[in-house]
Amino acid sequence: MDLQTLVSILESGAALGILYALMAFGLAIVWTTLGIFNFAHGAFIATGAYLAWQFGNAAGFGLGYWAGAILAVLAMFALGVVVQTLLVRPFERHRDIVLLTVITTLAGASIITNLLNVIWGPRMKQIEPALGGEVTVGLVHVRSQELVMVVVVAATLFAIGWFLLRTPLGRSMRAVAQNREAAQLMGLDVRLLYALTFGLAAAVAGLAGVFIGSIRFMSPTMGDDPLQKALVVVILGGVARFTSSIYAAFAVGIIEAFSTYFVGLYWTPAVLFGLMIAVLIIKPEGLFGRRQRSV
Amino acid sequence: MAAVLEARGLSKSFGGLQAVVDIDFSVAQGEVLGIAGPNGSGKSTLFNILTKVPFAADRGAVLLDGRPIQRLRAHEIARLGVARTFQRESVFPSLSAVDNVLLAAEGARRGNFAANLAAAEQALDLAGFPATLHNMVAGQLPVFLRKLVMIASALALQPRVLLLDEPASSLTPQEIERIRDLIAKLVGEGMTILLIEHVLPLLTAVSDRLMVLDHGTLIASGLPADVIANPAVIEAYLGRER
Repeated sequence: MDLQTLVSILESGAALGILYALMAFGLAIVWTTLGIFNFAHGAFIATGAYLAWQFGNAAGFGLGYWAGAILAVLAMFALGVVVQTLLVRPFERHRDIVLLTVITTLAGASIITNLLNVIWGPRMKQIEPALGGEVTVGLVHVRSQELVMVVVVAATLFAIGWFLLRTPLGRSMRAVAQNREAAQLMGLDVRLLYALTFGLAAAVAGLAGVFIGSIRFMSPTMGDDPLQKALVVVILGGVARFTSSIYAAFAVGIIEAFSTYFVGLYWTPAVLFGLMIAVLIIKPEGLFGRRQRSV
Repeated sequence: MAAVLEARGLSKSFGGLQAVVDIDFSVAQGEVLGIAGPNGSGKSTLFNILTKVPFAADRGAVLLDGRPIQRLRAHEIARLGVARTFQRESVFPSLSAVDNVLLAAEGARRGNFAANLAAAEQALDLAGFPATLHNMVAGQLPVFLRKLVMIASALALQPRVLLLDEPASSLTPQEIERIRDLIAKLVGEGMTILLIEHVLPLLTAVSDRLMVLDHGTLIASGLPADVIANPAVIEAYLGRER
């Protein structure tokens, strides 16, 4: 392998990694805070993409890429709150909440995917990128849109980290994830914080959808594959810290890029899932995790 | 004197088990009401249903300053001024000590950050938490200091009534002495306290009145010296003489 190939594999892995970090964040924060796995996360990614297309593209409302992206993210936040209220909150204090919400969020995913199909049809669409063309930096040729994605996602993850660590609302969200009962006794509205957490996860999933929709073709089931990857990332990284899944996302992105080059596209999921199973056996709390549920 | 907190006919069952049965009590401003009873007598369940964390009473009324609060949600009850600590030191482990207390200050005051931080630091000082450890992660603190963080968090809510659930459990005699001093200091500042405690010398020393539960039922109440001499209380703790 020459240096040029190595660099482009690494570049492609890093671009995938940063996208996976965004996708995994939502799954991780819902798991650590509400203690459930949200199977509708993939459908949120797809819905974010379609909404951005509708708001931004000329064939939709034609508001432009950035207005479309922002409106899609805001709408996804609201959708997240609604989904949490309808599909998760009724089972909040139930003994079997994990199993029940597997079923309800799977049902939610199915309903959302079918609604996307009904509203926008099965034909492939693509969000017009914010920037066309390529940029060359040394040995690396990057699509401009990928560069936009890397910058925006990095800024988003940084902003979320700052929000969780430095703001009263972020501190409350971390507190409620760590000790629900103590949080109630501190006067924190747990029901509201759960809804906001779910909304935040959906908004971030929507943003991931916007970027996927502008570098690949969109379909109502476009979130299925990202959901699997996000699951691999969360399990590989563990959820002990906000940054755990970010490290794991880059690891998965780079492994996927090398695996695609050496083993081929079709075998890459097998490689990733094999790795995930190995981690579950050897270090079940994740490569960067500790044995606890916390952010 | 008008009651700060009053319970009327509070009851809670779990299936066939009656955990709290028709309990009435009231506690006046600045008073310390001690609650004793053998393990499983319903003391902590009583605190649970007063605060609605994690569950509410099946029947009965709770009044704070004469206002019924049993229909409010748990966080609203906390914000109105019913603060509670747990038997086990219940903190937010990955947050620093001061952030733990800051959450309560923010929950109660809704003021600006500087005012809330000042309130949090004041509560930590009042609890006797070492100023040098404010930024230490709460999960890494020893048991006694975690208990102080929990008590400081409750104080930061600026409560009308403080519910302390076995603050002396798992502590050394020296640490128990410090808890006793802390309670005395809070009483000196006019705090109204409900205190569950197994360490009887501590309980009788700081309580103005004592009530004793057994199998969820109130079996005695009154002045501490009278209550601990009550045959029904002795029987509940030591069993019936054959």
